[in-house]
Amino acid sequence: MIAARRASLVPAPGLLRAIGGAVIGLALGAGLAAFGLQAELGQILALGYIFALLGFLLGIGAFRFWLTWAAGREVDVAEEHAAHGRAGDWRRYFRFTTDHKVIGVQYLVSAFVLFFIAGTAAMLMRFELAQPGIATSKDIYNTVMSTHGAMMITVALVSIIGGLGNYLVPLMVGARDMAFPKANALSYWMLPLAIVLVASNPLLGGFDSGWTAYPPLSQQANLGQQAYLMAFVTVGVSSILSAINFLVTVFRMRAPGMSLMRMPIFVWALTVTAALALIATSVVAMAFTMLLFDRLLGTSFFRASRGGDVILFQHLFWFYSHPAVYIMALPGLGAILEIVPVFARKPLFAYPLAVLMFVSIGVMSFMVWAHHMFVSGMAEFFHIPIMLTTELISVPTGIVFLAALGTIWMGRIQFKVPMLWVFGFLWAFLIGGITGVFLADVPTDITLSDTYFVVAHFHYTIVGGTIFGLFAGTYYWFPKITGRMYDETLGRLHFWWFTIAFNATFIPMFWLGIEGMRRRVADYPAGFGLVNLFISFAALNIALSVVVFAFNMVRSWRRGPLAAPNPWRAQTLEWQVASPPPIENFDQIPIVTDTPYQYGSPGAAPGSLGAAPARRLRP
Amino acid sequence: MSPRRHLLTAAAAWVVLSVIGVVLVAGMQIIPVIASREAEIENGAFVLLTAASVPVLMLVVVGLAYSALRFRSTDELADGPPVHGHTGFQAVWVGISVVLVLGLFAYGAIGLVEIRGAQAADFQVNISAEQWAWHFEYPASGVKSKELHIPVGRRVQLNLMSMDVIHSFWVPALGVKQDAVPGRTTRIHTTATETGTYPGMCAELCGLGHTGMTTTVVISNQADLDAWLSQQPRGGPAPSP
Repeated sequence: MIAARRASLVPAPGLLRAIGGAVIGLALGAGLAAFGLQAELGQILALGYIFALLGFLLGIGAFRFWLTWAAGREVDVAEEHAAHGRAGDWRRYFRFTTDHKVIGVQYLVSAFVLFFIAGTAAMLMRFELAQPGIATSKDIYNTVMSTHGAMMITVALVSIIGGLGNYLVPLMVGARDMAFPKANALSYWMLPLAIVLVASNPLLGGFDSGWTAYPPLSQQANLGQQAYLMAFVTVGVSSILSAINFLVTVFRMRAPGMSLMRMPIFVWALTVTAALALIATSVVAMAFTMLLFDRLLGTSFFRASRGGDVILFQHLFWFYSHPAVYIMALPGLGAILEIVPVFARKPLFAYPLAVLMFVSIGVMSFMVWAHHMFVSGMAEFFHIPIMLTTELISVPTGIVFLAALGTIWMGRIQFKVPMLWVFGFLWAFLIGGITGVFLADVPTDITLSDTYFVVAHFHYTIVGGTIFGLFAGTYYWFPKITGRMYDETLGRLHFWWFTIAFNATFIPMFWLGIEGMRRRVADYPAGFGLVNLFISFAALNIALSVVVFAFNMVRSWRRGPLAAPNPWRAQTLEWQVASPPPIENFDQIPIVTDTPYQYGSPGAAPGSLGAAPARRLRP
Repeated sequence: MSPRRHLLTAAAAWVVLSVIGVVLVAGMQIIPVIASREAEIENGAFVLLTAASVPVLMLVVVGLAYSALRFRSTDELADGPPVHGHTGFQAVWVGISVVLVLGLFAYGAIGLVEIRGAQAADFQVNISAEQWAWHFEYPASGVKSKELHIPVGRRVQLNLMSMDVIHSFWVPALGVKQDAVPGRTTRIHTTATETGTYPGMCAELCGLGHTGMTTTVVISNQADLDAWLSQQPRGGPAPSP
């Protein structure tokens, strides 16, 4: 504290010092590579980025605690706690702060900003595709398409678990914070520079291999390719760090009485998600690193001409990237199942089966990756077992519909905005699931793979599974997070506009794919012109509806009516404290006596605050 | 209305809509142009999967729509019945999903074996892909061409190679799609059933010229094919596939 208060030319730890650190790091790393090692441009960029990332993290103060401690000086706990709180001060969102609620908001807002940028890229794509012929250029199209994919994947990976998860998991399990608050902040602050790097790829020549980055195309692509690979490895490291944090929090920090089978279903979803991220992410980080070595250091992991194997990359990539689809979708499923009982005013139907569903999806998601490779030339014998496992995973996935339908059936449904998104989610995820079976079946997949049918399918799955869940969760927890109420009318407008435009955009793409329009092309036969024009118009409406959302969120956060602690009469623990919750969440650790779904049982209070913790209740 | 009446009404709507949907779908041609045995098998798989998905779609749609219409509540303080689950219903749901999925899998596996199974062929073509063009070579006659010519009614084997990045050879009418991968030869078979001229294209993103990497496939009877082959200038000795 004393050191930081001393008058100095060096700014205090914060965004300013972090940017300074990044610039100095970039200069150091790039200079070292260029003059010290006589390196090529790619190697200069690589070393420059690594040093810049370190400089940024040092500047933001990510290592301050550990460095002080390692130096044997007194650890400055008070400063950490000061940064914790200062409730209401917006500047805490731009600092290295260990409060899980601040980190949750940082993740959530960053994810939405990235969502808007990547959505703008989608608008550029639809501009090019609105008419047959080339309006911009094939080069620009490929770069914009690849950037859109790379950014949206990141949004889908971090928005719910990083944003809503960080904010809510400690609250929902009755803990004061995450298990490792400093590592939690570190995992967030690794992202901004990675996002800047991805966003700046057009300045580095862009890249044309899509987010899948298949070699050899990605080996010959421009420097923009390398920007994407390095940024994604950074996101991966951050993701692993955060996964460990979630697992330890859930398994070690639950309130007395909260056995695993009394956890809110959202927490279960995030637990399985974190396990998947922990196990799978290192595989893609390794594959991308090997690819970077091929580009930068002359290795031949994926160079067929020198004994490497091109298809090996696809196996490694999808061994992560299929579980990653569930890393994206499970948090959405969890949010939906958390919201359904509250607005149907009925207990969550088949809670134990829903838990089993999350766990079995998690286990099975590691056995299905090669369905992305049915026409890739992989070993012939592999088709049948992968087809079997892929189709079988629809059994646990289908249980989300059992649980949701069972809950709303005979309920007392209130169609508040979050519940509208639940219905939109179930429709979109249903279409995504059904069309997925066509891609799991090899005979139909031969026709459909690499067509617009695939584009439509995964947008129904990922927008359906993640973005609808993200919107539902954002509206539902908005009063808790901000202490204010969103505008119901604008929320309804956003829902209907978005949902109609979304379906109008992607339903015709199924038809285009069956009729033979390939994905990832800048031009197409003139016969598809009218349908594509319609799609571009519909897609523009998605963007406009999101503007309504952004307006509603910003305005309501600043001036919305104050929200009660529990406006939905929900039973999970986060609603039993003030809105927004106080620093360290609970004055007294709550005691849990049942699942938080006791609707219809008068007087039930499955999570009660106030009583002194009784140790014997701990499972 | 009693819970039983709600259930029966919704079930009746589900049955009616499912039957209508299945009747509409059955016998449809979904793949727009079918010119081979493989495309015929794939179209059959399409029809079966579409028919099977109709009842699944309708189950959820009817469940959602019925609930939205009939279980909407204006009383903000009213709660529903405290039902946490129904073992019998859950067991039936999981049981039917497993049986349905295994049935679809069995049908798909049979189709896959029919498409990929028979490896013997009476006509071979070597296809090599590069950024951004297709090259076809007929090893029996040493002829090389820019478009693919194959006979109708015979088992054709296509041997795919790539000289640079991954490409994918796709002829929608033949129901054929296979990646051409540098460093290895991939094979695919087809038996054409209709003569005619059909488009072929690259289906795997391969860089700047991917969009324009198209070709033409000419399916003709053996006599016409022989006549065409004999008119072509001969290349060097053909490499074995």
